[in-house]
Formats: sequence, C-alpha cells, structure tokens
Amino acid sequence: MSNAKERKHAKKMRNQPTNVTLFSGFAANRGGKHHNGGGKPAQTQKQENILESHSGTSQQQETKVTHHSLSDPDVNEQSSSKVMFRKKGGWKAGPEGTSQEIPKYITASTFAQARAAEISAMLKAVTQKSSNSMVFQTLPRHMRRRAMSHNVKRLPRRLREIAQKEAEKAVHQKKEHSKNKCHKARRCHKNQVLEFNRRQKKNMWLETHIWHAKRFHMVKKWGYCLGERPTVKSHRACYRAMTNRCLLQDLSYYCCLELKGKEEEILKALSQMCSIETGLTFAAVHCLSGKRQGSLMLYRANQYPREMLGPVTFIWKSQRSPGDASESRQLWIWLHPTVKQEILEEIKAVCQCMEPIKSTVCTPDPLLTPPQEKSQTELPDEKIGKKRKHKDGGENAIPVKKFIGDATRDPQQPCSWVSPATGIVISDLTMEMNRYRLIGPLSHSVLTEALKAASVHTDGEDTETTPHCWWIETCRNPDNVSLHHRQEDFFELLRGITSPGEIPAGTILGLTVGDPRINLPHKRSKALPDPEKCQGKDFNSEEGICTRSWSCAQWKPLSDHTDDPDNEKARQLLLEGVPVECTHSFIWNQAICKSVTENKISDQDLNRMRSELLVPGSQLVLGPQESKIPILLIQQPGKVTGEDRRGWGSGWDVLLPKGWGMAFWIPFIYRGARVGGLKEGLVHSQYKRSPNIPGDFPDCPAGIRFAEEQAKNLLEKYKRRPPAKRPNYVKLGTLAPFCCPWVQLTQDWESRVQAQEESSVASSPSGEEGDTRRREVPCAATPEKTLKLSVNEPIEPEEAMDTECQGQAGTKRVGDQDAVENNGAATGRLCVIRERKLLKQLSAWCGPSSGGSRAARRAPGRGQQDLTRETYLSVLGHFPRGLVWVSLSLLRKGSPEPHTMICVPAKEDLLRLSQDRLYFGPQEPKHSDPFKSKVLKQKEKKKMEKRQRRGSAAPEGLAGEDPTAGHEALTLGLWAGPLPAVTSHCSRVLLGFVTQGDFSMAVGCGEALGFVSVTGLLDMLSRQPADDRGLVLLRPPASLQYRFARIAIEV
Amino acid sequence: MAENRGAVEVELDPVEYTLRKRLPHRLPRRPNDIYVNMKTDFKAQLARCQKLLNGGTRGQNACNELYIHGLGLAINRAINIALQLQAGSFGSLEVAANTSTVELVDELEPETDTREPLVRIRNNSAIHIRVFRVTPK
Repeated sequence: MSNAKERKHAKKMRNQPTNVTLFSGFAANRGGKHHNGGGKPAQTQKQENILESHSGTSQQQETKVTHHSLSDPDVNEQSSSKVMFRKKGGWKAGPEGTSQEIPKYITASTFAQARAAEISAMLKAVTQKSSNSMVFQTLPRHMRRRAMSHNVKRLPRRLREIAQKEAEKAVHQKKEHSKNKCHKARRCHKNQVLEFNRRQKKNMWLETHIWHAKRFHMVKKWGYCLGERPTVKSHRACYRAMTNRCLLQDLSYYCCLELKGKEEEILKALSQMCSIETGLTFAAVHCLSGKRQGSLMLYRANQYPREMLGPVTFIWKSQRSPGDASESRQLWIWLHPTVKQEILEEIKAVCQCMEPIKSTVCTPDPLLTPPQEKSQTELPDEKIGKKRKHKDGGENAIPVKKFIGDATRDPQQPCSWVSPATGIVISDLTMEMNRYRLIGPLSHSVLTEALKAASVHTDGEDTETTPHCWWIETCRNPDNVSLHHRQEDFFELLRGITSPGEIPAGTILGLTVGDPRINLPHKRSKALPDPEKCQGKDFNSEEGICTRSWSCAQWKPLSDHTDDPDNEKARQLLLEGVPVECTHSFIWNQAICKSVTENKISDQDLNRMRSELLVPGSQLVLGPQESKIPILLIQQPGKVTGEDRRGWGSGWDVLLPKGWGMAFWIPFIYRGARVGGLKEGLVHSQYKRSPNIPGDFPDCPAGIRFAEEQAKNLLEKYKRRPPAKRPNYVKLGTLAPFCCPWVQLTQDWESRVQAQEESSVASSPSGEEGDTRRREVPCAATPEKTLKLSVNEPIEPEEAMDTECQGQAGTKRVGDQDAVENNGAATGRLCVIRERKLLKQLSAWCGPSSGGSRAARRAPGRGQQDLTRETYLSVLGHFPRGLVWVSLSLLRKGSPEPHTMICVPAKEDLLRLSQDRLYFGPQEPKHSDPFKSKVLKQKEKKKMEKRQRRGSAAPEGLAGEDPTAGHEALTLGLWAGPLPAVTSHCSRVLLGFVTQGDFSMAVGCGEALGFVSVTGLLDMLSRQPADDRGLVLLRPPASLQYRFARIAIEV
Repeated sequence: MAENRGAVEVELDPVEYTLRKRLPHRLPRRPNDIYVNMKTDFKAQLARCQKLLNGGTRGQNACNELYIHGLGLAINRAINIALQLQAGSFGSLEVAANTSTVELVDELEPETDTREPLVRIRNNSAIHIRVFRVTPK
C-alpha cells in the first residue's frame, strides 16, 4: 500500500471505533464468521448486523455521528485499541491481510464487555443527532422522497423516531413566534386594519402605503415608510415618463406649516429668516397676492449667510377670497421632513409663538372620532366599530393622524401655537393634506381626464339630505358659482397646452372637483395630448388635418387663429398665468376639509351602487350625493437654470384633503401615469441640476446628519467585503471616500491662498520658498513621516506651475493684501454661497470667454481681469470659507459617482488635451499605504495576545489590551486618524466633491453636481487661460484615472 | 399688450430683472412631424426623414407625406433637408413650403420683491415644409 493511500485510510478511520471499517467491513464480517467461533457468537452477530446496516445505508451519517460522539478517544488510544484487537480477536481483517495474527483464544467476558461498551456508545451516537441539518437531509440523494419533511412515513423506518421528534420541535418553535390566527383570519378585513394600525405606530404611513408596499422597495426614512424605487426594472422607463409622458409621485410626507395672522406681522417676523440676496422672499408681490408659489432658503434669524436651515416653498392664500373678510392672512410653508424641526422651532421663535393651543388642530382627532362612532352606535362591538371607522373615515387618514401623536409625540403635545404679542397662529398641518406630484408633458392630459369640476347645485333640488352642505351653501352665491365656472374654464384650457413648462412658474389654480372614482375607466388607459380629443375627433394620421386652428403642426398657416376666443384665453394663461381670484380654493378652510374627509363615500358603498345600476357598466350618477373635493393645483417649474433643456421636468402638484389619497391616486394611474419613488425624485432633481434635499445642503443641520448617516452606511458596506475584494483607498489616494470633508477643504484652501499671498508679498517667488511652504503644510497636519514623503513627491510639477503664476500675478496682489488679512481675522464657518449677484458673476467667469455675448462683455480684456482680481478678493473677504454649487459635464468618457473628487488640472494636462483630441486625462500615481504594516502588526499582535491569554493568566492580557484599544479603528484600505491636508494629498489639487453624479440620459454624457471651494475655484480660474477656462478633472474615489469635465454655475 | 411691452423696455434693468426665455409653444406631434433643430447632426435628421418616407424599421407603413418644421436659425436646415430629400427621390417627392410667425415668450423674473414678473413677446419666423409623394408620370 502506498503511503498516500495509507494516510487517506488513516484519516477516514481516525474517529471511528476501530471495528467499524468502511470498505473492509464485509471482509471483516466474513472474517468474524469464520474465526470467531468462540466467545459469544450471537452477540457479535447482532452487533455486526447493526454495523452493517449502518455502514451500508448511511455511511455519511455514521461518520458524522461518530465523529461527534466519540471524539474523546485520542488517536493513541485508538491505535492501542487496534493493537489490542489484533492481539485479542484478530477480528480486524484490514487490507494488510492480518489473518496470520489470529489469536488462539479469546476471553469471553472481557471481549463481551468491550463490545458492550462500544455498542452502547454507538447506540447513543445513533440516537443523538448533533448536526444542524434535519434527519431527512442527511439521507443520501437516492433515498430522499418528496414531501419527506411533511410526512414522517416517507422516511426509512429507522429514522422515523428522530424525525418525529424533530418535527415536533419545529412545530413548537414556530408556535412561539407566530400569529395565533390562521391565514384566513389574519386576512379578514377587521384584523387586517388592526394589524395595519399597529404597524403604523412606529413609522407614519402615507395613504398610498399599501399600494406602494406591493410594488416598491420600502424604506423607513424620516419617520415615514416610503417607497424607494419600484420593484420592476424601470429606471429608464421612469426617465421617459418624466420627459415624454407623466410620472406620478406621492409627496404627502412633505410637511406643511401654517401661519395665520396679520400680513405685516408675519412678513416682519419672517423677514429675519431670509435674505433678498438669495432671491425673492415671502414679500414678493406676485407670491404675496397668492398668485404664485415662491421658494426660498431659510436661515436662522439674522444669521444670513450662515446657519442655513433649509429650503422651503410657500403659498399665500389669495386675499380677495369670498369667505375671507378680515385682514388676516394665511401662509403655508411646505418643507421636507428632515428640516422641519429646526425650521418650526425657529419660526416659533421669530414669531414669538410659544403659547400652545390645544383646541385647533390637535383636538380634531378626538373630535373626529366620536361622531363617527356615534354614527355607528347601533354596532355595539367595539371592534366592528373600529373597523367601520377605518372604512368610512378615509382608509387610514384618521388613524395615521392619531398615530402621529402616539409615535412621535404624545397626543397632549400641541400642534399649534399662538403669539400673544403679534397674534400669529402657527399650526403644524403635517399629514393633514396629500400632495401628489405629476411630472411631464402629459400631466395636463392626466389631470384633465381624471378630474372633472364639480357640478353646481341648482336651488331647486332638495339639499337637506346631502352631507355636502358647504358646497350647497357656496352654490347659493352667484359670485361663487361664476368663480367656479371660471376656474373650470382655466382647468379645461390645460388640455390644449402640451407642456406644463409653458405656464408661468409656480402658478396656482384652485378647483373643486367631483369624485374622481365615478368616471374611472374600466381598464388602465393612456391619456393622450388632446387637441384631437378636445374636439371629439379621431386622430387621423393619414389626413392629419384637425380643425384646431392654432396648431401650427397641421401645416396650416398660423395667421388666422387670433380671433378664436378660446385661443385668446389660452394665450392669457400662458402669459400671465391664472388670475388671482381663481387661485381660491376651499382647501384652505380646515372645517370644510374635515367635513369632506368625513363624508367620503367608501369604496365599498360606491361599488355596491355601481353594481345596482340598471345597465351594468354605465355611468354612475350620484347627483347631489356625490362628494365635492376642494383641491389646489400648483405648477412646479422644471429646470429653470442653465441654457439647455429649459422647462424639463415641469409638472403639477395636487393638494388634496386627507382621506382622499387613494381615490385620486388610482384614477391618475388609470390615465397612464407611471409612479416613481424616492429614487426617481433624486433622478429628477439631478437632471434638473437642482440640489436635492437633504443631501445637497451641507451647511444645514439636516444635511450634516444625512452625510453622517451616509458615511456610516457606506463604511459598513465597505467593511462587509473581504479586504482583498475592496479598493484600498489609501493606495488610491482617496482620503475620504465616504464623506466630503467640506470644513477641512475650505480651511485648506484658505490657508493655501493666504500662504500664496504672503509669499508673493515677500516678492521672492522662487521655487525654494514655495517648496518649503508647501512642505510645512502637510508637516503640520500629518502625524506620519512616511506620509509626508509620499505626498510631496507627486506635487513637484504642479508647484513649478504655481510659482510661475505667482510670479505673474504677484505684483497685482500686493495692493490688496490688507483685505486678505482681514479675511484671516474674520474666519467664518462653512457656508454655501447663495447670493444671486455673486453667483451670476461667478458663472460668467466660469465659462470660456469665447462665447458670443460674453466675449462682447469681456471686450476690454484687461478691465475684466482687473475686475476679477478685485472682486475675487472681495468675495474672499465675504466668504473666506464658501462653497459653490456647480454642475459638471464630462467632456468625453466617464460617469462620475457620489464623492468623486473635483480637482484642478495641471498645465500640462490642458496642453495635452488641446493637442490630443482623444486624450482623456492624467492618472494618479499609486500611493503607498503606511497603514498596511500597522494593520498587519495589529493582527499579529492580536494573535499573539490570544495565544498568550490562552497560555497565561489575566494580568498579561490586561497589559496587552491597552495598545489595541488605541488602534481599534484601523481598517485596511481606509485612512486612519486625522486627515492630512486634503487639497494637496494627490498629484492634482483638490477643489471640491461631487454629491450627485451619474450618466445623464437627458444629456447623453456623464454629469455631476457638487460643491467646490470658492477660494479654490477663483484661484483656478485666475490661472487658466481664457479659452479653456472652467475645465476641471474628476476622479472617482475608487479609481486612479482623472477625467476632464467642464464646470458651470447655473443661476 | 403693446403698451405693456413698451413699458418693459423702459424698465428693463439687469439688476432688477433676470431674463428667462421660455421654450416655444409645443404642439402635439404626429408621427410624420419632424421638428428640425440645430443640435442634432444634420445627417441624422435627414436619415430620420428618409426612414419615415421609406417605411420604418418595424414594418410600419411608409408615410406619404411629411411635415418638416424649422424655427429661426433652423429654417435653413429645414429647407436643406427637404431639398435633399427631394433630390434623392428621383422625382417621386414634391415639396410645398409655408411660412409663419411664432410668438416666443421671454419671462422677466424680478430680482426685488416689489416688482411683478413681466412677460415679453417677440416673434420669430418659422417654416413648415410639406414633403409628399407624387406618382411619377
């Protein structure tokens, strides 16, 4: 027998009782029969039978079993037993052919004893199963049967007992955590509602939650359960819907704050929180009249430009509304849930509204529920009453509201506050309304098809029986009726307008509509743009001539269409938007909203009425019983900044009273709207090149929290991969792959520019000096010496360029030195520049100066340059640590990702780019990883410690723990400890970071959005030649390749 | 509108207003409408028209007529495309042109709270070329 074979055999036999031989078992049997005449033949025979059955049927199992149970006897012992066997019984007939060593005699008693012990051990082993698998899983494949786990009788008989036990155990385990009801009971409506209510206690549910949960990946965010992205593959489809058709989003999680009071008081209070420099404020004329929606940034009172709180949109209630006689105004501020707390607190502070009111908004809940329960008093069972309540009072609106109180604050906590001094009342209307957003050109068709203006009640009808008395009241007034008709006319006009982008930004249109469920189509259909539909004419592509006269698409001269009255109106709508009085909606009135919510006909009742129709499938006519729902339509301007794709992603927001969510949601979808989640919202804002809340507001508390959370998640994800399968960011020269160190970036740039100024003042712009200065910066910041070397090496060429530039610019800078020193004194905190004037100036500087109009402006090149220098310093004076929001589009290949680094290109990069059309960018030389050895050492240390601990007593273990505690944070591939100078860490100077970036389907190339340091940007721009100004390099965190991109600031 | 426009010109000041050009009024598009722009490659636009006339890829019927629309700077290109189509058809295509004026809207966004947003209207020329098939005699 070869050596290897022997070893293999030994391995196999290692944990076996020696008499259990696998392949020589039969030989042994035969041997036993032949030679074991003495002793107790019957017993041995029996034993062998057992053995045989086992080794024959389930060898695998046997080995497993014995391995565990008989692991105690050592190899030595075994070998000794082997020896003993050979001596005693010669029972073993191995492949060695041991038949020569057959003993002459056997002592029966000892032999039997030994066997008995072995048998008992074996029996124990067989009955005990110690692996994780079930019994039937241990069977060989050919013995498995279908439904073995279900039916014990399909197992071989010898295993049944064990399987039985296992099955019982499993049943017990299941029972512990399972529902005590059967599936059917759980699915029954009553229990389901109870269950849903229970589950809403932790996170708020939107009214469309169930619909979303069936189709979307849900995430728990900001205290809500929100659909993140559809489960179907639909990234591109959603983009197409945004561009060509209609995308629907549920934005009901946006929070609404209501301010009521005198106009001047509100304006006075709120003016502290915003600045005219960032754009229009609450006092803008067209917003104040209630005609348009406004949007702005809120800051902590009198802290502009620091301490940003968040972006908001707002709408004023129009003044001359019929019901409103007093001078009290109503203002709604809509904001993202992440920024709500801070803004609410601040608004309360500036309005001095500290006195909580308990009777306005919070109490409706207790008030709301009793009448409903009263109406169901005939049903004594509390549970049934509850069920009914949910069905009636708007699926989950009321419970949701209730659960807000339960979960996030106790019900006693007020949601409205009054100020004794100014009389302003602030109320928190979160979840009181639904907000749906329709994006895309077909949103007009979807809206006009899905919604029909409410029919006006004539006086002749007996109106006492209907629950919609508010509508009957309003219909009594002819002014109201005529207003309603005007609103209806404007709404119908939308049909003929192909894109929401053509309507003035932020136009508001109030409307009262009928129940949208009534004219729900039987099948999901696609609403089409409708000059054709409007005329009731079939679309004839062959002939293609429609009578709609203003259409120039019909190859008809456009001259003869001005006399069309409808057209005149449409023109007015396009030019001036909706007149002020038509913006009125009853949704501003809380009492009416409440009654509308309460009097909603349930889906069940509606369907029953439908089924009772005489002609099945015909239109259901409810007459005065039909609900009338006040809604508010707000136009959302799409892309307003920049040159290209104007009006992309424009659409309408629909505000509905709560409880009516699903009643509007389904009709919209049945008209061909596609639904998007949070991710689609992100894509929308990215293609619009607008900052996304809260990720793109690094200076507001919500943004900081978001960044922290994101960094934590990414780090966790990174750590989950084995070190060899993840990028080593230290080697890639990426200091912060998971977060953007804005503060450090701006600080670095500040000190950098200051140092440059100083060196230029000293009028010795020699390479030596620059070098030493440069050396000092990393010296101060980095703890490691090895690092310094590695960092400094690649910088050399860049420095040469720097110093050259300094030589040129140095003379000019001397005069402005005072200003710079002032900057140093007034070191501010991080802030993002949102001053429109400044941004405009910056955006003009960013572009290459070869453009038509800009060239004209820049004609006196010298003068412009001087202006740049001056303003450059004044900018730095105001914002020494400013960041600017920039958009980047890649010149050639590459799609950036979040946390991509924006770097300043060196001179030779630009040179090569101009020479070589196919040059795609320089590469970062590989960095050395000074932490790798440390990590390895640490690992070894740990090992040693473990060994030591195992070997010796506690005191040494304690001594060893201290050093490990310090280095616990070390992860292979990540920078440990405080970051060194971030700007000069790589071969190209760092300018900023990308926060959103992807391949843009709208433009057809990679696009990114991010922030750069103003100081760095101006520094870079002043050095770049005029014709390719604004070129930067982008490098993703996990790559060494830089790629060219063009920077643009859009105002 | 005229007096309004005059007033705007007097008032217009880059400090107080930002000019935002709105997109031209879009109309629902039939499959045989081609809007010519200056961004897309000329060849690609020509090929698109050709494809429509020849019958598309998915076995759809060939169009008998085509409307090519050009606005402003793109008028030239629209004419060019139409003539190229005609030249390449060996006499089976005819063109008929029509001109029109399109109203464009410029929005003036106020920079200060006290001003209303304004709207300016200017006109631009447009051309609509009908390219249709004739049976060669």
